[in-house]
Amino acid sequence: MQLDAYRLESEPYYRSIGAEVAQFSAAYAARLPVMLKGPTGCGKTRFIEHMAWKLDRPLVTVSCHEDMTASDLVGRFLLDPSGTVWSDGPLTLAVRQGAICYLDEVVEARQDTTVVIHALTDDRRILPLEKKGELVTAHPDFQLVISYNPGYQSVLKDLKESTKQRFCALDFGYPDPSVETEIVASEAEIDLAVAHQLVQIARRSRNLRGQGLNEGASTRMLIHAGALMREGLALSDACQLALILPITDDPDMRDALANAVAACA
Amino acid sequence: MRWPTRSPPVPEPGGGPRAGFLRIAGKGQDDDVPAAVREAFPDAWLAPWLRARRKIEGAGYGTALEAGFRTAGPACARLVGPEPAIDMADFLSAVTIKAGRRAGERLCAVAPAVAERLGDGPRFRSWLSLMQRFAAMAPESVLPVLERLEALMERVNLAGLEAWLLAGVRIAGADRERRAAFFRFESPDAERLLDREAGETGFFDVERRMKAFMGALYGSRAPIREAPPGRHDGAQRRAGFGDGIIRMPSSFPGFRGDHAEALYRASLAHIAAHMRHGGPRFPVGKLKPLQIAVVSLIEDARVEALAMRDMPGLRRLWLQFHIAQSSGALTAPSLFARLSRALIDPEFEDIDGWVRKGRDMFHAAEGQLEDAGISRAIGNLLGNDLGQMRVQFNAKTYAVQPPYRDDNAGIWEPDPDMEPPEDAEAAVVESVRLRQAEQDDPDREREGDTPPDDTQRARSAAAPDPEAGVPVASYPEYDYQAGVERPDWTTVVEYPPRLGDPRFATEVLERHADVAGRIAALVRAARVGRPVRLRRQAEGETLDLDACIDALAAVRAGDMPDPRVYRIMARRSRDLAVAVLLDISQSTADPVPGGGTVLDLEREAVVLLSEAMGGLGDPFSIAAFSSDGRDEVRYHRIKDFGDKAGPAVGAALAGLKSGYSTRLGAALRHAGADLAGQPSFRRLILLVSDGEPSDIDCPDPAYLVEDARRAVHRLSQQGIDVFCVGLGARNAEQEARIFGQRGFVQIERIAALTEKLPALYLRLTA
Repeated sequence: MQLDAYRLESEPYYRSIGAEVAQFSAAYAARLPVMLKGPTGCGKTRFIEHMAWKLDRPLVTVSCHEDMTASDLVGRFLLDPSGTVWSDGPLTLAVRQGAICYLDEVVEARQDTTVVIHALTDDRRILPLEKKGELVTAHPDFQLVISYNPGYQSVLKDLKESTKQRFCALDFGYPDPSVETEIVASEAEIDLAVAHQLVQIARRSRNLRGQGLNEGASTRMLIHAGALMREGLALSDACQLALILPITDDPDMRDALANAVAACA
Repeated sequence: MRWPTRSPPVPEPGGGPRAGFLRIAGKGQDDDVPAAVREAFPDAWLAPWLRARRKIEGAGYGTALEAGFRTAGPACARLVGPEPAIDMADFLSAVTIKAGRRAGERLCAVAPAVAERLGDGPRFRSWLSLMQRFAAMAPESVLPVLERLEALMERVNLAGLEAWLLAGVRIAGADRERRAAFFRFESPDAERLLDREAGETGFFDVERRMKAFMGALYGSRAPIREAPPGRHDGAQRRAGFGDGIIRMPSSFPGFRGDHAEALYRASLAHIAAHMRHGGPRFPVGKLKPLQIAVVSLIEDARVEALAMRDMPGLRRLWLQFHIAQSSGALTAPSLFARLSRALIDPEFEDIDGWVRKGRDMFHAAEGQLEDAGISRAIGNLLGNDLGQMRVQFNAKTYAVQPPYRDDNAGIWEPDPDMEPPEDAEAAVVESVRLRQAEQDDPDREREGDTPPDDTQRARSAAAPDPEAGVPVASYPEYDYQAGVERPDWTTVVEYPPRLGDPRFATEVLERHADVAGRIAALVRAARVGRPVRLRRQAEGETLDLDACIDALAAVRAGDMPDPRVYRIMARRSRDLAVAVLLDISQSTADPVPGGGTVLDLEREAVVLLSEAMGGLGDPFSIAAFSSDGRDEVRYHRIKDFGDKAGPAVGAALAGLKSGYSTRLGAALRHAGADLAGQPSFRRLILLVSDGEPSDIDCPDPAYLVEDARRAVHRLSQQGIDVFCVGLGARNAEQEARIFGQRGFVQIERIAALTEKLPALYLRLTA
């Protein structure tokens, strides 16, 4: 099968923080499209990988960007020496073969692009390939999942109401400190005590959200910092490298964060 | 000693006889001159000095002043050279004429000390000239300033002194009383501004990062105000808090640079710990000041201990200020400092029994630190012990040690006799700002139309009258003479729109139907959101047939085909946000030939303009401003970016009334602050004004012009353009100075404004 490359080979680590696994499984059983909401780096992508592995489906991931057009999703004609030849896009591939198609940061894509998924996400479950003149009926195992970061600053970028209402949604946040500690310790392979310190620091940075920072430090950043510490960096250096410098260019904010790190250790 | 660069008046070449003549002519007086003076004014300098002296003596300023000058002259000459000392006569005359004899006498008295401090002629002369200018600006204040001059110059250099003097003159505007109070240090501003000029690491310099630090630690958004130095001045300033507001001293004298920053940080972390872990305020009851001080001390240690449980690194931050030693006199302040250290520093051992007892009791209570009651229990016992030890305690001079700790007023129930805090208004500004920040926060949903409770409180505290304004922000202002931007100099007060006729907008559109029609056509033409087809692209949605044929032809001919065979539809998007700012100062009440007032035309033009802007889909806001002194820059929001255009906007426009002056810089800064939050690529402030910047407290016409120019520069650094539509015959040179050569247009025939403004807008933004 063409999509074997999209199958996950081993179980991705995922620490459940609530009932989200059971909820997603139910949505998949009913083949309902799902929207994952939450700030960046809180584990949305990891979750969908985990679910694809658990449900034993190939996972086709598309990172959306603002220049993305509908043909980047459904496919386009290419030229070859004998004339034109149609090439399926990632969405069409998933629809034909029954994969989970994950559109990451879907708001980034132009609004006219997202409209192509409408017929797929109601009971019709079809994908019209207008340019090719073909109507693809979705494979029974196909499911569409999108991610959406509501904290995303821009007023201009929001999902259309008609798009939103087609989806079930799971809300992701940063996990509780104890759970987050466990995740950081496990992913970065560091002591729980060190992971705890990192999580405390992250909490401070999240306090500054909207007060100079667009977003606090994500779990992913903490894992990076932890990995640096595993490689021998001191806490303050690791935080500087993995957390403070990437997150802001404002000298006052950097100063405040560096001192918050010092206060936590 | 540095001597002046100019050489003394050497006798002209071959002018021997003349020099001789001078000497002979002055002979009678020369003989009286003591040797010390001859030494100060050697050779040819002596005659000019004697002339200067005669000039002062001939002016009839009184013997005291004459004697003063006779002493000061040679003294200064020895320090900075004879020439400036001689020139002093002219400055002295000018100051005496403006500010009176006593000021002149005082000038003579302080001059030698100043000469010694400054050490060279040019700087001494700058000082004299500064005093002369100051005498012209604020004659009544010359004497008080000269009386404090040595103390002032202890803290600031000459440039700092000049900036401070100018600040005092500006702050009072035309109000003589206020100015005099400033220079007599009766107004707290005097001390605060002097601190800034003195280059102490003021709270102002580090405010932003400190707020962020505190926000990070506790997620606290408590407003932090710079407190005017109150009871504890000099070395004894302490922070304080209460009613959700934190007061920070404008500086901690003696702490500079990193050390001062650490102190501010330690102080904020300490107050944050109080706010986080403190209980309800303690009742004062019958406690004596000594007991209050001890209970406060234990409470300080308690909240710090709790804070350090969460954030162990805070110990390092605080510990560096605990420098008490286990020795020395057993006075109350020293025992307190030692106990404070014993409670936070596990390695500190004290020999004193009382300190040890306090430490042991505190450690015994370790399990119940959450309970604020232990502070009272332990504090009372320790306080009684101290009382029995007959340790002296003077509540008047006591200041909490170490300096990062607050004055503890925030943990006790307020004394009903205490006067209300001086910065009540500032607090309102801050809490309104806070409210706005919260509303801007996209995550917080607005709860219907009911404002949150604190808003109502802020409004009612500021203004029982619904028509009255709310101070919402303060902005710096630029003083071109001093070359400094004075922070928080102007206060913008927002007024709720006064609603006029709701049919206003419709009527205007009906009346100017022809203009509206022409504008609509222009808008259609200018709507640049039209899709454009781009051919021969490397990537795209569909194949470009022409390119495909070429490519295949190339392939068949054995050539390399051009891979750009796609075409796409792209939208050239229009990404522009506009803030329309209307000048509604008194002059807009002037009638215009052809009927109506300037303001009438302004609002009609804005109605038509908003049609155009709405048609183009540009986000825009409308506001009007006027001013009544620097504390009252009146700002009327007519339409915010988020608001829909509708009858309410027309009604608010119709309700505008002309009045007051034009403090342009502050209004531009405020409009810019709004606009800065817009995510658009291009941001424009479109100013419609009929006059030059002016205000009642600014006698110098150039001052507000330069400030406005500065504001425009600052905005353009932020990527915000300012464009001015000037009404009537204007001073083009001045406009160009403020807005730049291409930043303004003049509409001399004001009646044409209604049609010209929208057309201009379209041209400007095409």
